[in-house]
Amino acid sequence: MTWELFAVFLGSSIRLAAPLLLAGIGEMVSERAGVLNMSIEGMMLMSAFASAVGAWATGDPLVGLLIGIVSVVPVSLLQAFLSNTLRANQIVSGIGINILVLGATTLAYREIFGARSRAEIPGLAKIKPPLLGDIPIIGPAVFEQVWLLYAGIGIIIITALVLRFTSLGLAIHAAGAEPKAVDKSGLSVTAVRYGVVVFAGFMASLAGAFLSIGDIHTFTEGMTRGAGYLAIASVIFGKWRIGGTTLACLLFGAATALQFQLPALGVNVPNALLIMLPYLLALLAVGGLVGRQMAPATLGEPYRR
Amino acid sequence: MTTLDQQNSLDRGPRFTLRPSLFVPIAAVAFAAAVGLALIAAIGVSVPDAIEAFVDGTIGSPYALAASLNRACVFALVGFGFVLANRANLTNVGGEGQIAVGGIAATAVALYGHVADLPLGLAFILPMLAAVIAGALWGALAAVLKVKSGTNEVISTLLLSFIGVWLLYWCVQSPALLRKPMTSSATLPESLEIPDATQLPLLTGDYGFPVHIGLPLTLLIALVVGVLLAKTIFGVRLRAVGLNPVAAHRAGISYAKTVIVALAGAGALGGLAGALMLLGEQHTLKDGFSSGYGFDGLVAGLLSRGSIPGVIAASLLFGFMRSGGINMEMVAAVPTALVVVIQGLIVITLAGAALFIEKWERRT
Amino acid sequence: MISTSPAAGASAPLLSLSAVTKRFGSFTALSEVSLDLRPGEVHCILGENGAGKSTLCNVMFGVHKPDGGAMSYRGAAYQPSGPADALAQGIAMVHQHFSLVGDMSVVDNVLLGRGRGVLNRKECARQLAKLATDYGLPLDPNAKIDDLSVGERQRVEIVKCLIRDPQLFVLDEPTAVLLPDEIAALLQVCRRVAASGRAVVLVTHKLAEIKEVADRVTVLRGGRTVATSDAPARDIDALVRAMIHGDVAELDGTAASTLGLGKVEHVGHQPPPRGKVEALQIDGLTVKDRQGVTRLDNFTLTVDRGEIVGVAGVEGNGQSELAAVLAGMMTPTSGRYYLGEADLTGRSPKEITAAGVGIVSEDRHAVGCVLGMSLAENIYLNRLDEFTRFGFLNRTALQRDATTLMRRFDVRARGPGASFSSLSGGNQQKAVLAREITLPNLSCLVASQPTRGLDVGAVAAVYGHIREACGRGIAVLLVSSELDELLSVADRIVVLYRGRIMGTCPADPARKAEIGAMMAGQAQ
Repeated sequence: MTWELFAVFLGSSIRLAAPLLLAGIGEMVSERAGVLNMSIEGMMLMSAFASAVGAWATGDPLVGLLIGIVSVVPVSLLQAFLSNTLRANQIVSGIGINILVLGATTLAYREIFGARSRAEIPGLAKIKPPLLGDIPIIGPAVFEQVWLLYAGIGIIIITALVLRFTSLGLAIHAAGAEPKAVDKSGLSVTAVRYGVVVFAGFMASLAGAFLSIGDIHTFTEGMTRGAGYLAIASVIFGKWRIGGTTLACLLFGAATALQFQLPALGVNVPNALLIMLPYLLALLAVGGLVGRQMAPATLGEPYRR
Repeated sequence: MTTLDQQNSLDRGPRFTLRPSLFVPIAAVAFAAAVGLALIAAIGVSVPDAIEAFVDGTIGSPYALAASLNRACVFALVGFGFVLANRANLTNVGGEGQIAVGGIAATAVALYGHVADLPLGLAFILPMLAAVIAGALWGALAAVLKVKSGTNEVISTLLLSFIGVWLLYWCVQSPALLRKPMTSSATLPESLEIPDATQLPLLTGDYGFPVHIGLPLTLLIALVVGVLLAKTIFGVRLRAVGLNPVAAHRAGISYAKTVIVALAGAGALGGLAGALMLLGEQHTLKDGFSSGYGFDGLVAGLLSRGSIPGVIAASLLFGFMRSGGINMEMVAAVPTALVVVIQGLIVITLAGAALFIEKWERRT
Repeated sequence: MISTSPAAGASAPLLSLSAVTKRFGSFTALSEVSLDLRPGEVHCILGENGAGKSTLCNVMFGVHKPDGGAMSYRGAAYQPSGPADALAQGIAMVHQHFSLVGDMSVVDNVLLGRGRGVLNRKECARQLAKLATDYGLPLDPNAKIDDLSVGERQRVEIVKCLIRDPQLFVLDEPTAVLLPDEIAALLQVCRRVAASGRAVVLVTHKLAEIKEVADRVTVLRGGRTVATSDAPARDIDALVRAMIHGDVAELDGTAASTLGLGKVEHVGHQPPPRGKVEALQIDGLTVKDRQGVTRLDNFTLTVDRGEIVGVAGVEGNGQSELAAVLAGMMTPTSGRYYLGEADLTGRSPKEITAAGVGIVSEDRHAVGCVLGMSLAENIYLNRLDEFTRFGFLNRTALQRDATTLMRRFDVRARGPGASFSSLSGGNQQKAVLAREITLPNLSCLVASQPTRGLDVGAVAAVYGHIREACGRGIAVLLVSSELDELLSVADRIVVLYRGRIMGTCPADPARKAEIGAMMAGQAQ
């Protein structure tokens, strides 16, 4: 493998890992506080669709991104309401939301675009960060990425700091590990858990927008194809830590990137096997490599006083 | 102990009052249907036209009716599996993948050597058995992961679904596997059509009303699963493990065995569903084979709240909805995605109402 | 009754409850309870289990809203909207069950819910150091909660409250889990907090504590105030009578012992002539946990047929591990145990049951029963096979036999089909005991904390059945943290401390002090 090819592989790994990373970190924060959002998939799809439509209708991808972010708010509030207020089974309600969003976006897509050929959708710009971007070969291939990814990395760093050094971070951790302690300290478990679901929705909306207007500049029906579930798997694989989740996402991204890289290298591996690879890795990851005791103690359990 | 006391103490006697566990699902379906109608109006299609197309597609012709019933059988099998596993507090969301591996196994056996020449119906029974075994193994895989390393079965069955679906894609893409011989570059990525003898016999023999023997088979399985859950010690064990695995273990009930049998059973039913789809209707394996039926069956299982007749009712509903939805798209230009929206709404409503139902039933 | 407390006499009440009533459904937990709490006093609330003590605390702390009556705090009407509101107004509470985040440090637990924005851990550690010297509450601010002892965890809970500088400080049964010298230290803290001009409410059912620390006492029974006293030490006998509605002297020895009166008579039975065979033989059982810490250390013991051996000790000293190993729920690191000739080490619960060992688990709801199933199913949970033919369960026979057992063990329920969760704790425990004690080939019974959370009547019934089994020649190993109960029921007591047997002695009430010292780790 030449350096050029390796740099391209690295670049596309990062590009393919980006939506998983954005959604995965949001989900990780939510799970740390005890809420499992199976609906990450639906949230991503919602935003992928809404931001694509927004960008197409206004011609401005930034407006599209904002519309994508806003479109997920009701979805996350619905999830938060179901899992906290109605204390619904978080798995079932999440899957319900995914089905609903899949149907709704497909329906709306057919209505808006109909039989029309896939319209040109303006996408988010790529940027080359100074210094890193100027490295020959590697610079453009690896670091020239959609700006949303860099913005997302910024948000992730802030998230890490908040979790580590602020009272909000303590409250989030305690809401998942020992919600009673949060309740008795005078904070509201429900408020914390609503907050993290909305945050997970926000991150998933960035991820969804990245898929449609960031990466391929178009929308296809059900285009998330399980990326949300991979994001959840990456949280488990990453042991509910930011670093671990990030590495897991990069691994899944690299596995996906192989699909495009191996044929280019003339390696003859069945395409289907490569498409399957991230899911297979995810299964191995959640199945063999992680212990149960790592999970937040009350993950998936609605809090009841 | 008086007679009155004994009557009170009946375990779970059927009482035909208007229970929330009955009327809430009905209300959820009605609500979702109303939203569906509103959406039809919103996209500018005449509601009466759409309804007419829907009805035509469901019971408008013997053919449509048969198609709906055949579909309902597939949903019901997956739904029974869901209920079975759910009794042990396991959530099997892997129907899609179990259908896929069932379809692969059924195709492989049906096309294998002289299977088609076997007498006594073995020509279609063997492929069905193969599908059952494949599905059971697929389900057991998730169970083993759960028992060995505590992997949440929701995540594992979901991932296994994706893997199963891509496995099927691989099988029909690769000439070394199940793809039909490539005569030209235009050869479709699909298997050969399975021989006539391996296809499921029709109940009436009338091609205008193609209900196959999957229907009586499904009803028989409904009976078996129902009895298994309600009348046997296995049913009690499932319930004990589901409610309190530690106490069940202390009482000598094996957690590992119960979980593996429950998920393998659910997988087996999913695999059989795949066999019915392939041997009964599609006859060739191609990409997109499972067509979301696994999720429909899952929703039917959820909707039933653990009751076998409930699964049957929900499966019929979805069978008709699917058929009607397809006809609505063809005749009235209403995308079938509408049906998916309705299903999503049903699941969400029911999930949200679970607490209410529980509270209500505890009060009475 | 005259006031003897100089601090409490003159000042106006800090918090007044007048005729407070609280109902849960049709059950009245508190009925017109009136109470004055004054600055500078330690006010004890005395009562049996279920007398409404915890409900009263929760009403003061804003967890429950009263259904009737009024409260006033510092002269103004007090209607807390929730615990947060109560805290903000200066009322803090240490609950019976800790709510600490195990994988966070002491400082972080104290900081939880206080302030906004960036944490100032250094400042908090300074405050902790000050509290430590003011009240005698030493703590390492950076230690993880998971690494702390029970007593230290309670100190964290207390510090969490004190750092908010509350005016009223409520402690709900704080001494139940503590060692004798930890109890003394805690009572000292209560005194110091009261001396600083705050009001302290101490909930307890231990009379020794009241004698030592209380300025005033309010006695609850069945949700009503049945007595108050300004001179608890003097009125102690009257208070006890009020609490249990009967004279102490008339009580059965077992029941009196749970009150901590120390007036325990040995009511041990006449053991039947013992067989030659030692029933239960435990040989060097050792359990190490995941971190490699030794939880049970070379435990060796023989229990003869017809003998009750009590295992005493403060909770968390290896009792749970011992019981779990004997029940087949945990594999020991080393050592073996035998029933007669049969080696049961590492066998499954099913095999252990089949060998004739009955197990009453300490955590009834987690291990002993399946709450969502019926009473009949639970009472035969480990023997359902007997009601099964060709895999089919004969429910008629199951219900019939369950009804018989219910009668024999006085399990009160709507019927054998009643949901197990609808039974009271005492009836649940009787059902579990019925299941384990009627094993067809029972030769040994291991009962852990069998009376936890039960009222006096149920306690007596449970021990009655255990004694009866013993009379039939069953070997009984009785694990309990209630020393007085062990003294009245067992023949012999072994004391566990940090997983090791500190000593063995006959169950003689006269040797209570000696046993207490062993429980605290002093070898005799």
